[in-house]
Amino acid sequence: MSADDESFHPLGGEWEDELETMLDDTEYDSDLGMEMAKDAMRVTKGELSEAEFHEMYHDDVMEEFGEDNRPTEEAYEEMKAAEEGTFSRMLSKFEGDGEDSRRGAMKKMGAGAAAVGLGAWGTVDDGEPEAAVADTQQQVDEQDGTQWGMTIDLERCDGCLTCVTACQQENQTDQGVNWMYVLAFEDDTTAGGNPTPDVRGGNDDFNFLVRPCQHCTDAPCEKVCPTTARHTRDKDGLVLTDYDVCIGCRYCQVACPYGVNYFQWEEPQEATEAEIADQMGVEPGEEGDHMTDERGRWVDSRAPRGVMSKCTFCPTRQDGLMGDDRVGTTACEDACPPDAIQFGDVNDERSDAYQHGEYPSKSRAIIDIVRNIPSPDAIDNLLSEDDDLESALEAFDEDEDDDLDQELVSIMKAIEIVSGGEEPAEETNDTILEQEQAVLESLEALEQYVDLESEDVLAELQLGDGSEDDANLRLRQYAGIAGSKFKLLEDIGTNPNITYIGQNPGPNAEQVESWISYEDVGQTDNRKEILDEGTVGDPGVSL
Amino acid sequence: MSTKMPTEEDILRPTEGFSKKYFALFGVCALALGAFLVGWMYQLSQGLVVTGLSDWGSGGGVTWGLYIGAFIWWVGIAHGGIILSAAVRLLGMERYMPVARLAEMLTLAGLSAAGFYILVHMGRPDRMVTSVIGHYHITVNNSPLVWDVTVITAYFVLTATYLGLTLRYDVSRLRDQLPSYAPQLGSVQLPDLYGKIYDGLTLGYTEKEDEIIERMVWWLALAIIIMAPLLLHGGVIPWLFAVLPNYPSWFGAIQGPQFLTIALTSAISGVILVSYAFRRAYDWDHIITDDIFRGLLLWLGFFCLLFLWLQLQQLTAGSFAPTVDHATATDSKFSHPMYVVPMLMVVGVLGFIFATVLRPSLFSKKRAIVAGVLVLIATLVEKTYFVLSGFWYPTFSIYEATPGDYFPSAIELLSLVGTIGMVVLFFLVISKLVPVVELHAVEHLRGDHDHGEHESASESAGEPEVEA
Repeated sequence: MSADDESFHPLGGEWEDELETMLDDTEYDSDLGMEMAKDAMRVTKGELSEAEFHEMYHDDVMEEFGEDNRPTEEAYEEMKAAEEGTFSRMLSKFEGDGEDSRRGAMKKMGAGAAAVGLGAWGTVDDGEPEAAVADTQQQVDEQDGTQWGMTIDLERCDGCLTCVTACQQENQTDQGVNWMYVLAFEDDTTAGGNPTPDVRGGNDDFNFLVRPCQHCTDAPCEKVCPTTARHTRDKDGLVLTDYDVCIGCRYCQVACPYGVNYFQWEEPQEATEAEIADQMGVEPGEEGDHMTDERGRWVDSRAPRGVMSKCTFCPTRQDGLMGDDRVGTTACEDACPPDAIQFGDVNDERSDAYQHGEYPSKSRAIIDIVRNIPSPDAIDNLLSEDDDLESALEAFDEDEDDDLDQELVSIMKAIEIVSGGEEPAEETNDTILEQEQAVLESLEALEQYVDLESEDVLAELQLGDGSEDDANLRLRQYAGIAGSKFKLLEDIGTNPNITYIGQNPGPNAEQVESWISYEDVGQTDNRKEILDEGTVGDPGVSL
Repeated sequence: MSTKMPTEEDILRPTEGFSKKYFALFGVCALALGAFLVGWMYQLSQGLVVTGLSDWGSGGGVTWGLYIGAFIWWVGIAHGGIILSAAVRLLGMERYMPVARLAEMLTLAGLSAAGFYILVHMGRPDRMVTSVIGHYHITVNNSPLVWDVTVITAYFVLTATYLGLTLRYDVSRLRDQLPSYAPQLGSVQLPDLYGKIYDGLTLGYTEKEDEIIERMVWWLALAIIIMAPLLLHGGVIPWLFAVLPNYPSWFGAIQGPQFLTIALTSAISGVILVSYAFRRAYDWDHIITDDIFRGLLLWLGFFCLLFLWLQLQQLTAGSFAPTVDHATATDSKFSHPMYVVPMLMVVGVLGFIFATVLRPSLFSKKRAIVAGVLVLIATLVEKTYFVLSGFWYPTFSIYEATPGDYFPSAIELLSLVGTIGMVVLFFLVISKLVPVVELHAVEHLRGDHDHGEHESASESAGEPEVEA
């Protein structure tokens, strides 16, 4: 849409431009979409009948989408009689055979939805295009619905392999089936270790890479699957394997550039399906058996023989089948001692994954101090109106139960300065904003007694003039300067949903021996050693 | 070179009776296939753990191995057959008419072996119908593996139709001389079992259809000759690998033509071997003449040249200023015996074929056979290396366990013996049922065909080199 065009949209040019950008993001023709939108608007104003509109774009829609299941001219009478908003029905028409996922359908109709829908398709008599716009806006927002993902802070990872063990135990995977795999590596560009200032929780001597499945938005494994067994779950973007459909061709493992897939070469060794369900107190096949997800598909826990498996991001947890308090968590995240793994909805600004990725210094600082801060009650008990910083710290110094030193106050204040004051999400058990609130509450209690805003105090707390920049600097000093943010093999175009903070392994990076081995934690690193036992006529040599 | 006239008797000879050698060969092949079937049953009961495969990445192995290498190899062999036969019909290369049907049959046998490998390689072959067919309308849009299954099936159907149509002419004319077998079970007299097959093959045959069939077959040949290079070995089979950007040894546009040349070299070698076996077994010196072998050998040389030329392209592009991952993949080619040795074998064959052009006396059928066998071994090893090298040198090569270890297990190795046995069995059986040399070819060689003016058999045999 050229700049000199007058906006056709009731919400104005800016909104229109946004629509066009969204259309550009789809694989379909933006110009066609915008044209359709313009005329759809005319339909809402009664200048054009729906039937005419249908006819006008029929050929173009056929060419672009290969199908045009919009309400036909014949359906027009019936549609009018129904006298209802047609948008949702029109969307459903684009969905084809009903087996396509909603996500797929949204993608498929991309331009069509934006054109027809964002163009504020309303009934002719409705006369309220804005209402329809609001409705369609909501529809489009769903395209950015829940997408589980992770931010993994490699600089906090100390390579302890607790996550590997936790995953193996939760999912009962065979030895060497390391859905979660952690490796230490060296690269030409680094001598190993993290830059100073030191990041709490990390390990100076090694670079680590934490490698679960990347749950890619454009998952090549899904694309090549000859059966649809490997699929993306509509509601939350999890990339899963339907163990009842997979034929075990292993093409997904071939297509995945990260090497996250593990085939079930033999009968699972750790637990039978009955045993897995039994641990949940139900029969196999019942809801909540830790195998069947809420759609009734067998996608969770270790795979049966002959099919492919990989990290699932714990769908049983996400479906609330392990209790509401585990929604938005994974076994590895729960287990990680230095909280290097931050799981959440990457499309939700309140999620741990988003918070830690966007504000790593603040998030790290919160994680580091939250267990040490005195409660508001403790503060109320210990302090009085005439305290200043010095006397307050002395009061805590003398107290046996609670501690508060100048550094802690400084960090709490810095967190307050940079905080956007966002409320944590209720249902997804995100902890960073929750913990931030706890910090802020204690700080608020403290500030009732102690002035932390004056120039002198701010200077004493190393917070400069109290600006956000100064506070961020202080947080970085404390929690370490976060390394670069990256996604693995981003140039391959898989759009992974894991964001890393730290050292991106380059093309020459090589795994090295870590301070702790898989054997040390009761796990197996190289699975081939185990599989070789089943090989018929294994000569013990390699080509 | 024999100058005796080919007769109907000649081409019917394989269908008459069973020799001891026949039974011996049948027994050996059945044993080979049977042994592999037992191995496969064991694999089905234990899982693919019986192979030498593992997960690539931290799993320290390779995901695909000999099964996939051999799959590609068989599809390649299957190719040439039908291309050669189609060329006979389309381009009028009637010199090869006597081996055209053998080539078609090799296509069916090779595709069957390849199809069998697809099943053998899967973790849950029992779900082939429900999972693959059931979601076909979705997966055909994006899964190269589904394209493969589609094209291989289409190719099989086309070839079988092609063979079936051309058999009608022969079977209807030779019907009385073809074998019959009507056993008595107790007091029940069974009908002629052979007869049932021939009745089916010639259902509704009239001589009026000959001309129409000939035209249909021409069009089928056209379809096949377009489809094979563009879609099969120049298309969907290499695309399984060439579309994956995370494997430098696979990714890229050259795999289509490269696969096609490999397919054609192995296919022509296959035709040489099968033709020689039949010529020897049934004294067909005057039908499958030396000239045919000279011609096939020259074609083999031509495709070997293309094969090596495309390999050279890859080595050059992969070593001049490669990316890090590509450099590793190319380095391996310069040093890994599974690559170097096959290349030297093909170079050797090419050198020999050049030499026979300069000095025709260097040609002998035995040497042609050796050349064919060398090429077949070279293509099998090279294709297996190709599959393995992807997993050995991926872009994301950070894992200590990568490149992984692999050696084919006894069952995997047995699969090769088994499928070769299966293909030989196919020929042993089909040669007892129908003439493996076309009646047209005999008529043509005798000069009594109705195809218009053509050089006589002796003239054709006198020209040692291929016109191409």
